[in-house]
Amino acid sequence: MDYKYIDQLLEKYWNAETSAAEEQILRAFFAQDVLPAHLARFKPLFDYERSEQTLGLSADFDERVARAALGQTATPATTVRTEARHFSMARRLRPLYRAAAAVAIVTLVGTAVQHAVSHQPADNAAWDYDQQAYTDSYKDPQQSLELTKRALDMMKQGPSTAAADSTVAEPESAR
Amino acid sequence: MNQIDFRQDLLPLKDKIYRLALRITLNRQEAEDLTQDTLLRAWDKRVELCAVQSLEAYCLTIVRRLALDRLALKEHANASLTEAETQVPDAAGNPEERLVATDRLQRVQRLFNALPVTLRTALQLRDIEGLSYHEAAEAMGITEGAFKVTLHRARTALRTQYEKIESYGL
Repeated sequence: MDYKYIDQLLEKYWNAETSAAEEQILRAFFAQDVLPAHLARFKPLFDYERSEQTLGLSADFDERVARAALGQTATPATTVRTEARHFSMARRLRPLYRAAAAVAIVTLVGTAVQHAVSHQPADNAAWDYDQQAYTDSYKDPQQSLELTKRALDMMKQGPSTAAADSTVAEPESAR
Repeated sequence: MNQIDFRQDLLPLKDKIYRLALRITLNRQEAEDLTQDTLLRAWDKRVELCAVQSLEAYCLTIVRRLALDRLALKEHANASLTEAETQVPDAAGNPEERLVATDRLQRVQRLFNALPVTLRTALQLRDIEGLSYHEAAEAMGITEGAFKVTLHRARTALRTQYEKIESYGL
């Protein structure tokens, strides 16, 4: 087998002319168990360098240093990363807007349907302050209901648009 | 770059920093102290370091300077060489073969650590840590060209020394 390519690479290697990729080729080559005699003599050098890559510190070093670093009080100049995230009042209330809108719609639709369907003046007492002056806009209760629903649909667009515009869907996904 | 996180950004660098400190001081306890020192210093400067391109290169620069200062203060000859013993990789073969392998690796280690500190630093950064020429030069505070020259001298010196002792064995 012709080792000319490896010989050339090795020459470049001693001259510090190899690229990282070329050095990778050399290291992979020398990691093999069986090598030609004229190259095998360099194997221990590469073996040693490879073995040194795994040297490291213990896990309790991590804890010691982390305690030393994070246990220190932060100077006024530095920004401290706190554990608890602080939300502004507006942000805290955002999820409630949808709930409030839903409650409002349910209340309005419920009352409107009740108003449109029911013919008893007593049920209208809560809505009308002047029962004498009151006249129905539409004669047909079904038509009233349809129009009311359509009006409420238009109102529903409002709150959902606001929710869609919101940059924060859930508090914990925000940064 | 966002704020630096101690556990995510700095702690993962500890082994590389330690290995360089050990290569320079040739003393495990000192290397460990220097590693801690370096990480805490970087942590103290975390606000300014947000803008730095390579946190790793910065830390290696710091530990190298600290280690050289430490080295200059004490005698770095004989005694410390025995402390930096190789963790020999699990080699296949019979006990005798393994002993030979261990012995050989220890010989390389002795030669490696006997090189002048600048040369063994260059070898550590490029051949063991796999830094690019640019990163390694930055860690040593020299130009890329100067680094390559140093690396060439280092590799040649190691090879020469090794061939010398190997030829005595025959």
